Amino acid sequence: MMAAFDILAFGACSFVAVAGALGMATTMSMFRSGIFLMASFIGVAGLFILLSADLIGLLQVMMYIGGFLVMILFMVLVMHDPGGAMMAGMELSPLERWFSKGLVPRDEATSAGQDDPASGEGRSHAGNRHEGHAMPHGEGRHGHARDHGGGAMPHGAHGGHAEHRHADHQHGDGGHGGMDMSMVTPVRPLAAWLAAAAGVVLVGMLFLRPAWPVTDAVPDPDSARRVGNLLMDKYMVAFEGAGFLILIGIFGAVLLARPSTHPDDPSRAAKAAVDAKPEAIRDDRLAPLAEAGGAPEPEHHGSHHGHEDHVG
Amino acid sequence: MGVAAALAVLGALLGGAALTLAVEHAFVRIDREAGPARHTELRHNLQLPNADRWLLPAGPVVALAGVALAMVVLPLGPGLIGRDLGIGLFYVIVVVDFVVLGLALAGWGANTPEGVEACYRIVAQLVAYVVPLGLAYVGVIMMARSLSTVAVVDAQRGLWFVVLQPLGFLLYVVTGLMQSYRAPFLEPFAASLGGGVLGVAGGWSALVWRVALAGVLLVVAAVGAVLYLGGPSGPWLPGWAWMLAKTYGLMALMLGLGRLVRPLSTAETLALSWKILIPLGLVNVLLVGGLILLGVGPGA
Repeated sequence: MMAAFDILAFGACSFVAVAGALGMATTMSMFRSGIFLMASFIGVAGLFILLSADLIGLLQVMMYIGGFLVMILFMVLVMHDPGGAMMAGMELSPLERWFSKGLVPRDEATSAGQDDPASGEGRSHAGNRHEGHAMPHGEGRHGHARDHGGGAMPHGAHGGHAEHRHADHQHGDGGHGGMDMSMVTPVRPLAAWLAAAAGVVLVGMLFLRPAWPVTDAVPDPDSARRVGNLLMDKYMVAFEGAGFLILIGIFGAVLLARPSTHPDDPSRAAKAAVDAKPEAIRDDRLAPLAEAGGAPEPEHHGSHHGHEDHVG
Repeated sequence: MGVAAALAVLGALLGGAALTLAVEHAFVRIDREAGPARHTELRHNLQLPNADRWLLPAGPVVALAGVALAMVVLPLGPGLIGRDLGIGLFYVIVVVDFVVLGLALAGWGANTPEGVEACYRIVAQLVAYVVPLGLAYVGVIMMARSLSTVAVVDAQRGLWFVVLQPLGFLLYVVTGLMQSYRAPFLEPFAASLGGGVLGVAGGWSALVWRVALAGVLLVVAAVGAVLYLGGPSGPWLPGWAWMLAKTYGLMALMLGLGRLVRPLSTAETLALSWKILIPLGLVNVLLVGGLILLGVGPGA
């Protein structure tokens, strides 16, 4: 009974760890990639807990959930295409397509918005949403998307299945004209084969090793106290040193984030209050959002506008 | 035993959800932000055209799993506990993070401007509350000399920690409100965002969100009762009755106190946390350390 549960839990945790790692490397969305990596580490934490190292396992979960959420936030801040809306339309290997399933390529997505009978506002704005929209996939598909934007699409013609859109894309552009993404570098298949070979070697070593040494040491149930004693006793200098380093890091961040003390230097001026309307970024390959106030609001099929602020 | 504990946990979860709604009803006016208790459409599903079809449904499930995992170590009475882990309090801090993860997943996965903005604010609020919340736990852990919830309850047989560490209790109430996204810290669910994650939920996901968000508040209040109010210990009544009374009392106190101040924006929440709450928490740790050195407290 207990052994069966152990094996089941081991299988589940190792599956999450391996599938998470695979998904992290192959999905087109940076956000999903971070979440997959988090899932992988949580699977490893489950393995730690199965080995009775519950403190290490929980530490791992805590570090990776909190840390990765913040890391993903910074990634979204600086990345060109954090949601994978552009890259989801590229030609993908089956694995990549599976882990990127459900990602909606951006230009098709705006036209799919019209198909939804609930989003009336979305339809009324769809006309000007495509104007000035630099298409990443070349001229042929540009005209195609214009047709969608013009509202000529009959309702329901796009069923809303990701597979349809993927198929559309592969017929439509057949390539990734001039896209400068790491995902399309020619070494990609080589890297994949290399990783597969490394995996085969590791699994082979697992099977070829004849006898695993089995220790009969009982895990310490009060490991937290032992770890704490070690940190505060034997490894105190390293522990306090790490704390000091983090403190210096905080000082550095505060120093960098402070309002400028040299207002004559425009690059150091506080960016918070800008009077002039900033110039629109051209050529960012994304569909512009609707004008302020006109963003298509998600709507329920019933009407809920009347009682938005009431408690349900 | 296991079945009784599971039923107790389930009953407490549902009772907490009902009580949360009732108290929020009592405090909410038309002109006030409802926050996580806002109206959601339970009867109709919601179809978002651009939604990420993996992350959006994963959100409420992950959040509810975090709440259910946290309930395991809550002592509802002598022997009435899912599992007395040796590192129980640390475990609670960790698994409640799954709620934040679920909210971030659903916010991003909804792929609407409001949802993504809610995702950012959720993560910012996490950055705001984790450190002072941990400091509020540390004072109790120092006095109880254990991370186990049962040991913390045992250490308060003579005197509740709220008497010995009033500053820590105050810190816990404020950070607990941040952790459960209630009144002054409801920016991720603000009406200006259309309710954030709740605004893009409908049908089963709205129901799961409702239970998960009420459950977070219940877990926060129950852990507060264990940390500072002596948990299930008390005269005359059975343990579970004391535990429930303290939990629901602390819950009502938190919700009521939170409604006394105006809602704070995410930036103000962060400023409050890093400029006031973290120094207060460090002072609290120093004070508790001084009390222990002076021989005040259990086992001294």
